[in-house]
Amino acid sequence: MPIKILVTAKRVEDYESKIKVNAQGNGIVLEGLKYKINPFDEIGVEEALRLVAKHGGGEVVVASVGTKDVHEQLRHALAMGATRAIWVNHAGPLDQMTVAGCLQKLIEKEKPDLAILGKQAIDDDQNQVGQYLAEWLGWSQATFASKEESLESEAEKSKTPALQLSADAKTLTVIREVDGGLETLECSMPCVVTTDLRLNQPRYASLPGIMKAKSKPIEEHTPATLGVDATPKITVTKMEHPPARKAGIKVPDVATLMDKLKNEAKVI
Amino acid sequence: MANPLVSDRLIDFLLYEVLDAEALCALPAFSEHSRATFDPWLGACRRVAREVLWPTYRPMDLEPPRFEGGRVFVHPSMRTCWRELVGLGVLAASRPSSVGGQQLPLTVSTLSNVYLMAGNLSAYAYAGLTTGAAHLIEAFGDDAVKSSFLAAMYEGRWTGTMALTEPQAGSSLADVKSTATPTSGGRFLMKGSKIFISGGDQDVTENIVHLVLARIDGAPAGTRGISLFAVPKLRPSGEGLRANDVTIAGVIHKIGWKGLPSVALSLGDEGDCHGWLVGPANQGLKCMFQMMNEARLMVGANGAATASAAFHESLAYARERKQGRPLGSTDANAEPVALTEHPDVRRMLLRQKAIVEGSLALIGLTAQLADWSEHAEQAERRAEAKLLLDLLTPIAKTFPAEKGFEANALSLQLHGGYGYSSEYLPEAWLRDQKLNTIHEGTTTIQGLDLLGRKVIAGGGAALMALDGRVRDAVKRAQAAGFDAAPLERGMDELARVTGVLGARGASGDVLGMMGHSADFLELASTVAVGWAWVEVAARAVQNDDDFSRGLRQAASYWLATELPRAQHLARLCETNERSYLDVNEAWLD
Ligand SMILES: Cc1cc2nc3c(=O)[nH]c(=O)nc-3n(C[C@H](O)[C@H](O)[C@H](O)COP(=O)(O)OP(=O)(O)OC[C@H]3O[C@@H](n4cnc5c(N)ncnc54)[C@H](O)[C@@H]3O)c2cc1C
Ligand SMILES: Cc1cc2nc3c(=O)[nH]c(=O)nc-3n(C[C@H](O)[C@H](O)[C@H](O)COP(=O)(O)OP(=O)(O)OC[C@H]3O[C@@H](n4cnc5c(N)ncnc54)[C@H](O)[C@@H]3O)c2cc1C
Repeated sequence: MPIKILVTAKRVEDYESKIKVNAQGNGIVLEGLKYKINPFDEIGVEEALRLVAKHGGGEVVVASVGTKDVHEQLRHALAMGATRAIWVNHAGPLDQMTVAGCLQKLIEKEKPDLAILGKQAIDDDQNQVGQYLAEWLGWSQATFASKEESLESEAEKSKTPALQLSADAKTLTVIREVDGGLETLECSMPCVVTTDLRLNQPRYASLPGIMKAKSKPIEEHTPATLGVDATPKITVTKMEHPPARKAGIKVPDVATLMDKLKNEAKVI
Repeated sequence: MANPLVSDRLIDFLLYEVLDAEALCALPAFSEHSRATFDPWLGACRRVAREVLWPTYRPMDLEPPRFEGGRVFVHPSMRTCWRELVGLGVLAASRPSSVGGQQLPLTVSTLSNVYLMAGNLSAYAYAGLTTGAAHLIEAFGDDAVKSSFLAAMYEGRWTGTMALTEPQAGSSLADVKSTATPTSGGRFLMKGSKIFISGGDQDVTENIVHLVLARIDGAPAGTRGISLFAVPKLRPSGEGLRANDVTIAGVIHKIGWKGLPSVALSLGDEGDCHGWLVGPANQGLKCMFQMMNEARLMVGANGAATASAAFHESLAYARERKQGRPLGSTDANAEPVALTEHPDVRRMLLRQKAIVEGSLALIGLTAQLADWSEHAEQAERRAEAKLLLDLLTPIAKTFPAEKGFEANALSLQLHGGYGYSSEYLPEAWLRDQKLNTIHEGTTTIQGLDLLGRKVIAGGGAALMALDGRVRDAVKRAQAAGFDAAPLERGMDELARVTGVLGARGASGDVLGMMGHSADFLELASTVAVGWAWVEVAARAVQNDDDFSRGLRQAASYWLATELPRAQHLARLCETNERSYLDVNEAWLD
């Protein structure tokens, strides 16, 4: 049975870029930065493509909120194989409520069976959009979707995947990561899933995929046309680098180590 | 930090600032492309190189292919590498859409492939060989050959090889002895022995198509009697495939490229080895030579890639390793400093940078000429580009290989005693690099080609074209405030010496001319890489960031330390230095 899945493609700073706090101390220096799709979103795109392929077709719709620069990330998802894209054109600061609000409206229009988001974005590590979205839609949710074992090699691909849709597409079984292990949830559809790192290893965009992506449509909206108030409810007042780690020391014996842990570090 | 293998910033700079890759998109052949396709493609190549190929490099180096029961078994991770390379779309990336390709300019594909090569040279070679073999079939095969082989090769279901070399015919392919006997069905029955055939057997794909040089019965001796054949390991038969009497006589135990088997092949031991003629009878070498520019450029890229990975490894090592105290320091209690604090260490790093990045720039310029020579709209522009391409190809093949070997040795040297140990990587790249001066025509053969054919072709028109490019680059660099005068002097030397050697040859003194082919190749290479550096410097003068300063420093280093050697090499040629021309082999032991 064909299914329709909405996924996201946030534009984030490449983790290999050198990040510096700006002079005002309220953000980062943007010059010279490289950008990429949020890796958790990329995992979401991959999982959606696999689910659609497994269930005899359907659609993977990818959405992103931001300036026209996000087309780069949308095209990346399209090159991986997503069907079409939606761009919510917005410049300036964005908070998780605005993003979740935009996605909610898009989902109400698009009516997908399932939304797959990254559990968080690697720029501000918020881990909130998926949860807001499920709450506002009144959908069930399964966060931190993960898996028990690697499914990457040919032999392993036959094993149980972390996301399984029932034959009637009414329920989704999700393996998710919890402290100290994995838990399996059964969600009624439609639902929101957020991805954890080990869920899958995303495919690389191929050259034929990149060429095909050029002609796939990108539909444009704005928060205003969707009826979402984009005024941030959160402002960043201060940003600073974490304190530099001090060099380690060598201790002569276990007794000194215990003493230092107790009296200097005060951790035991 | 993990080894980046190749500098992203440099490749972007070369493509978009120096080579103006976007200008190529104005040509009809590349109209589907723009930076919006180049950037994601580069991004995908970078990731596959770093995440898939690179982690398999050392395991493949440690565990070479096994030869058991007449079959070759390669490292198991080669399957993953092949799957990802095929999935990426490298095989037909620069081929036309009519054969399922994506018409990517060679300028872009050559520089993006450098990442894949730097990640794992052997693994990439399966793809490079397959594309090369398929391209020959595409260019010269008739419909029957194409429909039998082409799609399977470009889709990565079958691989391809180049089966030229025979035990008695290495540098001299004129001496190829393998034979082809016509059959009534239009095919040929092949017989002969080939050696060193890379990718000649493997257990990754179901079939392999060898492109074989052989003589049709009764063909004339020498190069004019050699034809090209497609000879599959398994031949199409009804709905399936059956063995085609291609036997693996053994695998070569190599010092490098250990992920790629090179084998001795025996064709037609049972008299049942079918071959399909590719191109006209007796024109095999000519067909092969039409692909030579691309193949040789690929070897140059192999050399630059191998030196690049080693350069970045040694740079990271030198930043990390603490040893000794700064020059002039007398305080025995002072903390040791990073190797990079020592001037001679920085010199060795800068030399590697000059060789690696100069090679990449030259390869980029040469690939761009290949694009223009094929796709420029005006015929004169195509012809001029072709002249320059032919002239620069032996240089772009040789310089990265020869000087890359020196750069690889410097990388090892910077690792000190650890570099001499196989726990560290530089020794592996050094072994890999050596092949690049041997295959696809040894350095000697490239020198003979350059002096004996390329510079004198068209009455020296190619050299005039290079002269024009060089002077234009010098002018732009000077105007931007970069002193490029040494390059101009080097170009003067090159032009003068070409005249002298040409005249000497024309007067009948072949030894006095061709005996200096190695000097001449080195002279021309020094100047050509000088040109590449001046092209880079001319565009790197505006900015004052570390990246641009580094490029200017490397360019100045090349002009200051290497270009003066042009004079010395020129003198050896001009004065017809006899010490090495007159040496008698009997005197040597
Ligand atoms: C690892 C590896 C992989 C290879 N892969 C392939 C492959 O896939 N397909 C293929 O067909 N071949 C392949 N080759 C073969 C390769 O192309 C030849 O080794 C090369 O062309 C040199 O030939 P040769 O080994 O017979 O050396 P020779 O020709 O015997 O040369 C020995 C030396 O003599 C010099 N020399 C030879 N002739 C002359 C001359 N006329 N004037 C001056 N000097 C001369 C050469 O420069 C060289 O230094 C491979 C070789 C190796 C080592
Ligand atoms: C096979 C082998 C056998 C050996 N046998 C012995 C043995 O029998 N006995 C023994 O005692 N040792 C032995 N050695 C050790 C050898 O002498 C050292 O490897 C060598 O002295 C270099 O030291 P290193 O390896 O620590 O390199 P490093 O000192 O770290 O040097 C790394 C690089 O930095 C450069 N460098 C270092 N300091 C400076 C400086 N101040 N200024 C400029 N450049 C600098 C070096 O020239 C080199 O290129 C052996 C090594 C090998 C590989």
